[in-house]
Order: sequence, then structure tokens, then C-alpha cells
Amino acid sequence: METFRLRLHRFDPKHDSAPRYEEYEIESDGPLSVMQAICRVYDTVDGTLSLRNTDCRRGVCGICSMMIDGRRRLACTCVAQDGMTIGPPPNRKVIKDLVFEMD
Amino acid sequence: MIDATIDADVLVVGGGGGGLRAAIEAHAAGARVLVLSKGIVGKSGLTQTAVTGFQVAFGCADPRDNPSVHYADTMRGSYGLANPELVDIFTREGAATVEDIESFGARFDRDDDGNFIQRRLDSSQTYPRSIKKGDSLGTPIMQALRRQMNKCDIPRRHEILVTKLLKDGNRISGAVALDFQTGELLEIRARSVIMATGGGGELFPVNSNTPDSTGDGCALALGAGADLVDMEFILMLGHAVMFPETVRGVLFTFQYLLDKGARALFNAEGEPFLSRYDPEGSDNPPRHIYARAIHGEVRAGRGSPHGGVFFDPGSVPLETVVDALPSQTQFLQSFGVDMRQPIEVGVAAHYFCGGIRIGPDSLSTVPGLYGVGECSGGPHGAARVGGNSLTEVLVFGKRAGRHAAETAATANAPTNDPDEVETECRRLLGFLEGSRNGPRPSEIKKRIKQTMNDHVGVVRDAAGLKEALDAFEEIAMRNLPAMALASPERIANYDWIQAIEATSMTRVGEAVARAALMRTESRGAHYREDHPDQIDDEWLQNIVVRQRGKELSVSSVPVNSATYGEETG
Ligand SMILES: Cc1cc2nc3c(=O)[nH]c(=O)nc-3n(C[C@H](O)[C@H](O)[C@H](O)COP(=O)(O)OP(=O)(O)OC[C@H]3O[C@@H](n4cnc5c(N)ncnc54)[C@H](O)[C@@H]3O)c2cc1C
Ligand code: FES
Repeated sequence: METFRLRLHRFDPKHDSAPRYEEYEIESDGPLSVMQAICRVYDTVDGTLSLRNTDCRRGVCGICSMMIDGRRRLACTCVAQDGMTIGPPPNRKVIKDLVFEMD
Repeated sequence: MIDATIDADVLVVGGGGGGLRAAIEAHAAGARVLVLSKGIVGKSGLTQTAVTGFQVAFGCADPRDNPSVHYADTMRGSYGLANPELVDIFTREGAATVEDIESFGARFDRDDDGNFIQRRLDSSQTYPRSIKKGDSLGTPIMQALRRQMNKCDIPRRHEILVTKLLKDGNRISGAVALDFQTGELLEIRARSVIMATGGGGELFPVNSNTPDSTGDGCALALGAGADLVDMEFILMLGHAVMFPETVRGVLFTFQYLLDKGARALFNAEGEPFLSRYDPEGSDNPPRHIYARAIHGEVRAGRGSPHGGVFFDPGSVPLETVVDALPSQTQFLQSFGVDMRQPIEVGVAAHYFCGGIRIGPDSLSTVPGLYGVGECSGGPHGAARVGGNSLTEVLVFGKRAGRHAAETAATANAPTNDPDEVETECRRLLGFLEGSRNGPRPSEIKKRIKQTMNDHVGVVRDAAGLKEALDAFEEIAMRNLPAMALASPERIANYDWIQAIEATSMTRVGEAVARAALMRTESRGAHYREDHPDQIDDEWLQNIVVRQRGKELSVSSVPVNSATYGEETG
């Protein structure tokens, strides 16, 4: 079992005055994509996390493009690493957590 | 309880290939169109992930090919159950559809003389017939459709889950929907409604589909009184990567490497096995035979460590692999798959052959309600031939759009039943109530997937199917009403979406299991271990599933016997 700690962007415009990053810990017996890791946080640690999960999961649609450790990358093709920080692209209106307006 | 009401002549539900094609045509025919999609319009669904098959009988690779041969191949590939009228239409109108898509800005691969490059996918095609664009057809097709949508400025809303179809007497009158981003409930009044909601692969734990493929269109159409047909036929593929977990279920169309020196699939004992399972003895049989063969090897203990078998590129140089399958190779390599070593491949749920029973204009058995693409049934019968889906999606998308616009022009302004709207709003808001203490929606989805996998998958029998029906009844009676969401918030609450999806999936799973139990033979994608033979005397019949009240009923009918646009008894 491998342990991943991920820092995920949280912001609920209804209750929060400013966004924050929260750390989560998940386990996996093999490599995960960042997308799979986010889904695992939502499934097993904190179901109040808002995420998008209607996209292609194979690098085609571009919907999952996010800031991953300071760089804009596709969450579905990027391999998750312990300690990663994941949030919305800059200058996007955040609807909640990891759900933000598309261009 | 409704937060906003929207009017449209033609409501298109689904933002994939079928939905966009229908919207463009309905707009061109003068209708006020609205496209709603659970995902981002034009960037969700399965069409964008389509890989290598688009069958149109241009006859470029072999001049003997033409629409009649394509028709004959398709009817044979459907094991006699496709609706011949529909097959005739999409095999003849395929060429015009390619022209349309190219006029919207796509360009498919051609040789130096300007002829389409056409390839053979498997032994079901008499001549090489599939046109191509690299190894991913879905992307250029969706790009072209998006461009045309934008050019026509067709109104659309992203991330809207349609949850119920509404009727004014016999006729369709609109829908209720949930806006994922805002949590608002919407009422749509529409003269025609086109369902283009895609497939239901998400009913299975390992699948090649996108997560929004939860079979919603079939569940919604059942609720509106429409017939579903051929629901027992779910295409399982043997072309999915099984390991690593990151890419489990992802398609790898290694068939294209077989004539380049790759080895045929082999089991853990190093033995090739496909020809043992194919009545014709082929090393590259139709797709559902792959699935059954791999399932058989795994069950006999001759599988790979992660529940598949092995594909070995053998002597094929890496450059050739990359050249034949560029984007697939790149995706697999990004997760560390070594394309020079044997790869574990196995079974994944891929395609719902059946769905909303449609006629030549894509009209269902309910006036004003259309079905397009994978959520429809009739064009493929007992097994969909590779590469026929894109053809059918685009041909019937266009037909539905035009017919729906024409009908809308003469239909009276619809009135939704306020009681129906209110009941639906209460149901949706009920999911957010805090008094529930059962499992989360994702847990219930897991149970549905396990049930489908264990009893309604590659190999079926009466005992297992009855067990599945018992499980679905229990899920419907006990699990769904107790389902508890992690958050009661309305904004961007994915648990809420999943709760609604789980309800639809339960209905669709039941429809599949009922049809599969009724069909006491094996044919195409449906294999009954307790009835292994194909029985043409008895079963050259379609099975229709209907909902009356809360109950589902199944009946068998002769092929192509429905009256469309008129609700049946
Ligand atoms: C990996 C893969 C490869 C494939 N390759 C090929 C190929 O090479 N050749 C071929 O012919 N076929 C192929 N297929 C099959 C083919 O791509 C699909 O069957 C076809 O594209 C489906 O198109 P569609 O328009 O019916 O649905 P989709 O493109 O799946 O679109 C469905 C849309 O409906 C939306 N939706 C769903 N439910 C709701 C709801 N309740 N409310 C609102 N919106 C909703 C979704 O978000 C999505 O936008 C492939 C399938 C897969 C999975
Ligand atoms: S989910 Fe489509 S590109 Fe990542």
C-alpha cells in the first residue's frame, strides 16, 4: 500500500470568505492519475468535496485541466505524486472547490 | 419549487455526437433549439473518445464494396435482429453524413489520389470499409460539430442533468432538469424532445465508457411510456487494458497490429485460444467472441494476474505501433505501459446495442419523443458491428433533428402537468433531506455494478438473472430510499447527481436482466450458458421492455413491427 497526501483547493462561496488548501490522505496499491486520486478523496475521505466527473478520463476533452504543483496539466493523464497541490487554473471563477467556470 | 422555466421548439438532451448533429439540423430547419447536457456540451459523452471505426461503403479500398454489401454485413452481424429499414437508411446515407461532417470542418485521411483510406476492423466486414483520421475519429468529428454549433450560435447549457420527461396527454411536452453548478431545478417546455444520452457502460465495474454513461435516456424514456428494444444485448469487448489500474478499461485496438507481426492473444499457459471459441475458427473474430473467449480462459484459471489474457506486440517495432495507434500508445505510455512487452488485456463493457425503440425518423413510440445514437435501439440488433455506431449516430441525428423541427412547427404549444412537475421536484429535493441514514450513492452504484458483472455480464443463466432481479428489487425498495448524501448543499453536489443516476441505473439494470431472462437462447452479444444454442425458429424476435405504472413488462415481437409516434398498449 502506498500513501498519498494531496492538498486540494476548497472554497464554498456561500460560507467561505477566502479559498484554502486542505490536506487529505488516501491509500492505493498502485499508481493513480491525479483525477483518480481526487475521486478517491471524494469517495473515501470527504464526500462534501465538489468535483467534475463527467469528462473523458483519457486526455481528449481538456475539461480536467488544472493547476497541479503550479503547472497547468490534465488531471487524467498526470500521475499522482505524494504531496501534490491541486487547484483551479488562475483567473477562473470558482463555483465550489474543484468546480470552476470553463472558458 | 422550479427555479426557472425555459421554452424551446426542440429540446436536445445530450451533448455528444448524436445530440450536436440533431441540434445543428433542427436549427437549420428553423426550430428554436436548446441543448442540455449532463457534461460540458460538445466535450462530454462517448463520441469524443471513439477510436478507429467509421463504416461508410465508399468502395475506395475495394470497388466491389457498396451500401448493399454494407447492409448485408450489418444484418448478418446483427444476427438477424436489426431493424432492416433502419440499416438500409444508415448504410445508404453514410456517405452524405461524411460530406456533412467535412463541410463542418473535419477532414478524414485520404491517399495521394484523394481517395479515403479504408481499413477492415474484423472479419464481419466483407471489404475494408472503415474510414479513419489517425487513430481517433471522435476528436475531429466533435471538433467539427462544435464549430458548426458555434457558427449557428445554438443555445446550450452545460452540466444540466435531465431527470424526467413530461407529457401532455399522449404527447411529450418537456422535461425537468437539475443544474449541477447552481443546484437549481429547471422546467423545460418543448414541442419535441430528442434523447441523445449515450450508453450505459457505467453499469459495469470495468468499462470503456465515460462516467456520465449511466443509461439515463433509457430510464427516462421508460418513465415516459416509450418502448425499449434489444436491451439484453450489451457488447463486451476483449480489447481493454487490465493493468495498471490507472488505465483499466481503456481501449487498445490491437487488432490493427495483428497483420503487422503481433502474436494472437494467448493465455497464461502461452497458448493462443481465440479460434477455439469462434465458430468460424478465426484468429480475429467479431468483438463479442473475444470477450467470451477471454472470460472462458480466465474462468478456467488460465488468465493473467489481473483478470485478462496477454497481447504481445512480438516482433512489431515500436515505431509501427506508434504509427498505427498514436494517441492510444501515448496515453498508455504516460502511465508507464511498456509497449514492447506483453500487455494484459481483457473484458470491458462497451456498448448498449439496444435502447429506445426508434423508426426511420428516429421517432420513438411516444409522439414527440426521439431517440438518437447509443440510447436508441433498432439499428444494431443482437451485436453492433465495429464502426457502425458513428455512422448511425450521425445519420439518425440528422434525421431526428429535421423531423423534430418539422413536427414542432405544427405542434401546439405544450403544457406540462404541474402535478407531475411538483412530484419530480419533491423527489429531487428529497435526496437532500437529512433524515436518511443509508449508504452513499457511490456505494449503491457499486452494488449495481457488481450485480451486473456477476449475473448480467458476458455469460448468463436463469438462476443468476433471477438473483440479479432480486438484487435490483431490494436496491429499489431498501437502498435507494435510504441513500444518504455526504452534503445537503445544492451547489455543485456530485453526490446529488450520483443519487439520481443510481436510481436510473437500477431501472436500466432491471430492464436488461428481464430481457436477458426472457431470451432463452444465445445470440450475438447475449450468451446463456443454460441455453447455449441460437434458435432461429423461435427467437428471430425482438424483446421489448415497457413500463406501465411502476412495473416493467417484457414481450417478444417480430422484427420491425412497431408503429412509431403512437404509444403502444
Ligand atoms: C472508447 C470508445 C471507443 C469507441 N470507438 C468507436 C469507433 O471507433 N467507432 C464507432 O462507430 N463507435 C465507437 N464507439 C461507440 C460510439 O463512440 C458511441 O456509441 C457513440 O459515440 C455514442 O454517441 P451518442 O451521441 O449516442 O452519445 P454520447 O457521445 O455518449 O453523448 C451522450 C451525451 O449525453 C449526456 N447525458 C447523458 N445523460 C444525460 C442526462 N440525463 N441529461 C442530460 N445529458 C445527459 C452526456 O453528458 C453526453 O453529453 C466507441 C465507444 C467508446 C466508449
Ligand atoms: S478528463 Fe478529458 S482530458 Fe482529462
